[in-house]
Amino acid sequence: MKGKLSISFCLAAALLLISRPIAAHHGTSGYDMDKVITLNGTVTSFNWSNPHCIVHIDVKDSKGEVKDWIIELAAPTLMTRNGWAKDSMKPGDEVIAETHPAKNGATTGLSGASTNLLKFVVNGHALPSHSG
Amino acid sequence: MTQRKSRLTLVLLATPLFSPVVRAQSAPVASSAGQHESTAVARVPDFSGVWAVEGGSPSWDPADPRGAKPEELPWAMEKFKAARPPFGAHGTFEAVNDPVQKYCDPPGITRLYNYPWQFSLVQTPGTVYILYEFPDVWRPIALDREHPKSPDSTWIGDSIGKYEGDTFVIDTIDLNDKTWIDQVGHPHSDALHLIERFRRLDHDTLELSVTFDDPKAYTKSFTAKRVFKRSSAPMEVTPCSLTEMQSFNDEVMKTTTQSPKK
Repeated sequence: MKGKLSISFCLAAALLLISRPIAAHHGTSGYDMDKVITLNGTVTSFNWSNPHCIVHIDVKDSKGEVKDWIIELAAPTLMTRNGWAKDSMKPGDEVIAETHPAKNGATTGLSGASTNLLKFVVNGHALPSHSG
Repeated sequence: MTQRKSRLTLVLLATPLFSPVVRAQSAPVASSAGQHESTAVARVPDFSGVWAVEGGSPSWDPADPRGAKPEELPWAMEKFKAARPPFGAHGTFEAVNDPVQKYCDPPGITRLYNYPWQFSLVQTPGTVYILYEFPDVWRPIALDREHPKSPDSTWIGDSIGKYEGDTFVIDTIDLNDKTWIDQVGHPHSDALHLIERFRRLDHDTLELSVTFDDPKAYTKSFTAKRVFKRSSAPMEVTPCSLTEMQSFNDEVMKTTTQSPKK
């Protein structure tokens, strides 16, 4: 499965996952909060920084072209309270990540904030997640 | 700023000295600032601990919870229409002019309670200090004086407080008009008068009622509430760095506001 694209639309699951709004400092208007997609790929960077932690993931699309996905998470203090740490992942790790994709089709997504944290599986191990 | 930080350091260092005060369910404090009197010891409600908002809303106006409608007075209406907030009915990622997100300006006092970060009250005999994790803001509530007669308008205004039974009442004036009262862009003028009323519903639940009175901006005063739960997570510092904010806006926000890909 390494590097292989696997994006699935899980609307039913999304309805459960977004039963409470994800709170970010900038709101969620840029993301499709009614949709959750799943990315399979390889971490290229994990930036543990304010105002939001950011993960870059290389994901192959259906044409075999590698796309750089930018995944937004909560601030470090809030992620720490969610059970994550700055070494929760590192470049080269294989990940399966759920995310709310950008409305405009950009390879950008929102996966977590204070009240919701979508599923992240790193090298086969699930990180803490919750739906509020 | 250095003076403020030094003062805060002193407060935090002094906190253990008052630990019997802040840990008791109902605790004795001196009846006048800094001077204990054995014959006249008052007991005050205890608000110590770390508190985190439960539920909540990006808007403080109970008549307009999503920030959908402009206000009735022209001054407030024009400012509200010009706001491009990150949250609410007019929430956007494009050309956001939220002074916190764009400039890392200090949020208005009432915005501090809408963030998912925690806050803590430190009760001392003459002053109650409220420490907010984001964005590294604190404010003193004076218990032993009136508002100054010739105040300066500031980001956090001038706050005085008193205990009324089980409630801690904070009266704040002298705020500048550079902040929003909430995340959806409701403005306020320098005439804003805030009354915050804290009371504990139970050991682990804190209620805050805020009354907004701003005759320059709103036709009538309004009141709204928030509920906070006791948190076991320690207080941490989360500053707002303009460098980090701009980097994030360039890396993430801009990608979501460009034209959709074909």
